[in-house]
Amino acid sequence: MQKEKKWFKPLFEFGDSPLPKKVKRDTSKHQKQIVNEESLPPNGCLPNINDKNWMKNFNPVNVEDLAVHIKKVQEVDEWLNTACVNSNNDMLLLSGPVGCGKTATIRTLAAKHNVKITEWITPLDIEYPTEFGDYEFKVPQSKKFNGVSATGLKAALKRASDIISKKYTSTYNIPTADIIESVVNTSGGDVRSAILNLHFASLKGSSSNLETSIVKEKEVRNKPTRKKKSTSNKFMSLGKDQTVSILHGVGRVLNPKELINSAGQKTLTHSPKDIIEQFITHPTSFINFLEENYLPHFSCAYDVDKAASALSDGDYMLAEWREKLCQEYGLYIAVAGLMLSNKSPVSAWNPVRGPKNMKVQYPSLHELPLLEPNYLYKGKVLVTDYITYCKIIENPT
Amino acid sequence: MSLWVDKHRPKDLMKLDYHKDQATRLKSLVQQSDFPHLLVYGPSGAGKKTRIMCLLRELYGSGAERLRQETMHFTTPSNKKIEIMTVSSNYHIEVNPTDVGIHDRVVIMDLVKNVAQTHQIDSSGQREFKVVILNEVDDLTKDAQHALRRTMEKYVTTCRLILIANSISRVIPAIRSRCLTIRVPAPTETEITNVLQAVCKKEGLSLPSELGARIAKCADRNLRRALLMCEACKAQQYPFTSDQKVPEPDWQTFIRSTAALILSEQSPKKLGEVRQKLYELIIHGVPPDMIFAGLLRELVQNCDMVMKCQVASYAAQYEHRMRLGNKPIFHIEAFVAKFMAIYKKFVEESLM
Repeated sequence: MQKEKKWFKPLFEFGDSPLPKKVKRDTSKHQKQIVNEESLPPNGCLPNINDKNWMKNFNPVNVEDLAVHIKKVQEVDEWLNTACVNSNNDMLLLSGPVGCGKTATIRTLAAKHNVKITEWITPLDIEYPTEFGDYEFKVPQSKKFNGVSATGLKAALKRASDIISKKYTSTYNIPTADIIESVVNTSGGDVRSAILNLHFASLKGSSSNLETSIVKEKEVRNKPTRKKKSTSNKFMSLGKDQTVSILHGVGRVLNPKELINSAGQKTLTHSPKDIIEQFITHPTSFINFLEENYLPHFSCAYDVDKAASALSDGDYMLAEWREKLCQEYGLYIAVAGLMLSNKSPVSAWNPVRGPKNMKVQYPSLHELPLLEPNYLYKGKVLVTDYITYCKIIENPT
Repeated sequence: MSLWVDKHRPKDLMKLDYHKDQATRLKSLVQQSDFPHLLVYGPSGAGKKTRIMCLLRELYGSGAERLRQETMHFTTPSNKKIEIMTVSSNYHIEVNPTDVGIHDRVVIMDLVKNVAQTHQIDSSGQREFKVVILNEVDDLTKDAQHALRRTMEKYVTTCRLILIANSISRVIPAIRSRCLTIRVPAPTETEITNVLQAVCKKEGLSLPSELGARIAKCADRNLRRALLMCEACKAQQYPFTSDQKVPEPDWQTFIRSTAALILSEQSPKKLGEVRQKLYELIIHGVPPDMIFAGLLRELVQNCDMVMKCQVASYAAQYEHRMRLGNKPIFHIEAFVAKFMAIYKKFVEESLM
């Protein structure tokens, strides 16, 4: 067994004696040291990959350039000031959604105060350093960041477009206000993704016509798993999808909204086809969510029968994981079945619950002292036969 | 103090209480120098395991009864560590591969390989093969079953497999054809009463024949359950009386109350309550097919003949779905919803 185990995991160790952990971490590419001009890396072997990163062109330089709310910046600034003075391993926890400018804030402020930053990005393929667990987490100060507001984003993008017009007119078209506005609209408070989209939207070489360039881009960026939705929104979605969270999707299925089109026919605002396209990558978890939450929306036993039957069909189809079409059909059956079966919906606010963990808990052998110690009992049999009677025999009253 | 069901388990093929003809055949099978892989199947509590242990004793002598428990560790291809309980003697090893869920394939491949690669040390007068007993083969994933089929061929010289299943319908044909299949039918009620009488005699107790017959009836032709019931009766009241209460398993009581809930009101809200009960049953490990059977049995008692047919047919349909699907709760719930719809319609029509 031992030999086999070794054979299976030749991860990093090539020699007989694996390198000590410390050394490994230092040479690991995953750990970047970002240093300011005064202190170069001691061994000089760590190339800063950001040097070639074009996105750096748009990185904020001054504190005023940050798209983060000015108050938050001030709070972090104050903390940094006190931490520099006291220097007793103070800790600050910054949390917030992706791309809301957590790192950017710290970097900019650190540059302002000439503070050296060491970054630890948890790498996927290395186990957590054990020392990490030994930290006494003495309730670190915590600052919560929100997504960047539309105004803040717009200002940031304006700044980026200024930089473009000053320095990079060879690579970019100067973005128009329209592009900026649609980028702001689709990014959902994520500065990083907004900058990426701006970069993509204003690259030279695409047609000068704005409309066609957007449409063309949509074709290029369409991944088979996620499709863009043309919304009633004024701005075309650009680059990033309007991703729908699973809770949102559950809401769309269980509270289907109908539109009456020009011909007087009823259609669903969000057709089952559109919804399943969003969730086809993880159909099982979506269907589990639906199952957990559909009942409170129904008022009639006949409708529930149809809905439950659709879910059963859906689950049956999803079990055939080798056939890709079955996944799509299974999801479709369940979603469409739920949307169409509810003739008299209950309109009340229902919190969405997560699917129940169905892990079976068989009784442990310690609970049943009467059993033979060296006999292999099956969990099922313990439940169906032994447990009731063992209890009675042990304790007849 | 050990349970009657363990204490009085027959250890010799010739001392089995029923299927005596089959026992003789099994005896002559192992008296030959070699025997094929076996697939022993039959309902729960019929005596599959008892027969297999007798068979091992016949093969290897009493050494096969010296058992020890061991936890074995395996690593999945995705580097996940799993552990599984095994019970073994010098001559055999027994395991429930379904204990590790979807990783059962790894257990089967590694375990059989390990056993097969270590030859029998003490070969004087012994067989040159070891025996691997795998439980609940019908609940193995398809992946594991295919792995099993390959291992079976590869290591046929050094190890014999004895597979145990409740039904062979979910064992892939490739495995079925590579094994000698032996069916162990459930004992009849008379056979169960005879065993109960014999056990009580050994314990020095007198069992009224009416009570014995009633226990046999309640036990659903499951000898294990019958013996446990009998011992529980003894614990509750001795001397026995012929009209004393025979305790039923907890989960049966629970299913009965769930059925009563379904009959009390047919609405989405009630279905929500029923679902909580079903969750509880499933999480506690009551097999979903038994939930289905239990619910059906309770529900049809309140139906006329036409409805009975209808309900039973739907139960069969959804139970089949459940076997093929992922999550049992979907299908049980769909069946309950279907029953509610049928029953509600019936009630509404009869009121008009």
